[in-house]
Amino acid sequence: MKKDGILYTVVFSFVITFLFVFLLALANEGTSEIVQKNQELARQKAILSAMAIPYSTDKEVNVLYKSIEILDKEGVRLYKSMQGGKTIYAKEFSGSGLWGTITGILSVDEQVSQIVGIQIVNHNETPGLGGRVAEPWFKEQFRGLKAKNGKIRVTYGAEAGSGKANKEEGIVDGITGASRTSQSMDTILNGELVVLKKILGGTK
Amino acid sequence: MTAKDLNKISRENLWFNNPIFIQILGICSTLAVTNLLTNTLIMTLGVTFVAAFSNLTIAFMKDWIPRKVRMIVQVLIISFYVIIVDILLRAFLPEISKNLGPYVGLIITNCILMGRAEAFAQSNPPFPAFWDGLTSGIGYMWVLMTIAFVRELLGFGTLFGFPVTPSWFPQWTIMVMAPSAFFLVAILLWIAKNRMTGGKA
Amino acid sequence: MSPQIAPLSLFFASIFTSNILLANFLGMCSFISISKDYTSSNGLGLAVTVVLTITGVVNWAVLHYILYPLGLYYLRFIVFIIVIAAVVQILEMVIDRLSPALYMTLGIFLPLITVNCAILGAVLFIEIRNYTLGQSAIFSLGSGLGWWLAIASLAAIRKKVDKAPVPAGLKGPGITLITIGFMAMAFIGFSGMLQVQ
Repeated sequence: MKKDGILYTVVFSFVITFLFVFLLALANEGTSEIVQKNQELARQKAILSAMAIPYSTDKEVNVLYKSIEILDKEGVRLYKSMQGGKTIYAKEFSGSGLWGTITGILSVDEQVSQIVGIQIVNHNETPGLGGRVAEPWFKEQFRGLKAKNGKIRVTYGAEAGSGKANKEEGIVDGITGASRTSQSMDTILNGELVVLKKILGGTK
Repeated sequence: MTAKDLNKISRENLWFNNPIFIQILGICSTLAVTNLLTNTLIMTLGVTFVAAFSNLTIAFMKDWIPRKVRMIVQVLIISFYVIIVDILLRAFLPEISKNLGPYVGLIITNCILMGRAEAFAQSNPPFPAFWDGLTSGIGYMWVLMTIAFVRELLGFGTLFGFPVTPSWFPQWTIMVMAPSAFFLVAILLWIAKNRMTGGKA
Repeated sequence: MSPQIAPLSLFFASIFTSNILLANFLGMCSFISISKDYTSSNGLGLAVTVVLTITGVVNWAVLHYILYPLGLYYLRFIVFIIVIAAVVQILEMVIDRLSPALYMTLGIFLPLITVNCAILGAVLFIEIRNYTLGQSAIFSLGSGLGWWLAIASLAAIRKKVDKAPVPAGLKGPGITLITIGFMAMAFIGFSGMLQVQ
């Protein structure tokens, strides 16, 4: 067969495409279980760390996760747990960031007066800028953050940059260079606080 | 191909003919993540892996590839390895994969890969082609790692996420943002050009 | 779930504050060499805008009607790049038939576009940010216009810079990169204009 003939070209293209796609399908099949397990594990870990429940190994995550009570209130799924004699709740949240949807877990105390913690599950913000919402220094600022009059505030623009939260006043330091992401977090979390207050408010 | 030739290839790719210095090729896919060392390392490792193996594969198959579809076959082979990188990252480093987002896929359009495939792999035996891809990738890596080092150190005061600068040291916001990457590439280019011409030009 | 973003702010964000070239570094390869010449820059800018808008929408359809239903998500990179190459080819033929004059201005740039990272980059952003069809169209049009604006302005600035005394080692690409850096800083200035909600 001539190397530059049409038949050879077509057959070659088919064979090569088929071969590579087949190999990729194999690779994908081989790892899909791990990917799924990773995702489920990441979700459980996110809930645990938002609720400030310490874990060290993956096995422990499974056990601890089972101790969390899952309830359905007014169509909203809540996670409930007892920590240090106090009842705390967690809820999945999602909202628009600068570029796409940011999803995560928000955990609060029973009166919705204090945030226990937050975790980011997924986001599409710019790596190194808005993407820093998922970094510990940002998330840790929410630990024990008081919601003043039911609200918190994430600073942005020139105000941001100290890297430290004012926990009594409910003010979190935003991300330098990512004003829109910081503002989005402010909007999303305050919205969630209102929802949680409404659901949990009556059950004091 | 002797050891001397291989040595020459590496010297060319790492310094004298470094794709970034000579033609500013291939920075599109990675420059955006150079404000953190970890992300840069993974991205450039990905590029090196893809460059080495796509070169190897193309050199190995070059006698069977019809001329008419040469480009598209090269793109196919490059995409194949990029998808492998993507699958591996999603399975074993889910955190990093999430951080890099779309940038992993952009390795496909990294001009260095097509450039090396056309310029070297297409006309050389497999092993030297592999070596050429590997060293091109490393040449690319060290330049971008240098940029990332400066950006993360001055921008965040950390290296690979570990705080290193004293607390009184102000963090340079500009280093976190896009313009600094352009300035740093230009400065590196300037230094490299001066060294290459012995400071005479 | 698709994000809720006001169409207008998405449009302006993709042109100015998050310019695909100046903030995301995409499409650098042809950018530096072509920007030497103002007329070519305009031609390439127009070509990128057209191709980007079309491929953005076509790839969205391919992703949502072929790749997701068939569970072939992991093949997306290959499929996207082939769709882009095909769109460029078809466009080349169509323009050649319909308007030879336009072909003269755009034709030579079209082959360059397949490997332009801005095109694939925009498509990958559309996929990962889960845009709706409308958002994809707005985002890809805005990104194309932003790229065009960036390359046209850079070409204009380079005309002046060519006459300036520049240190030998910085001549050519070096000073161009510094110029791009300043442009990027100027574009960041737009970010104050856009507020969330």
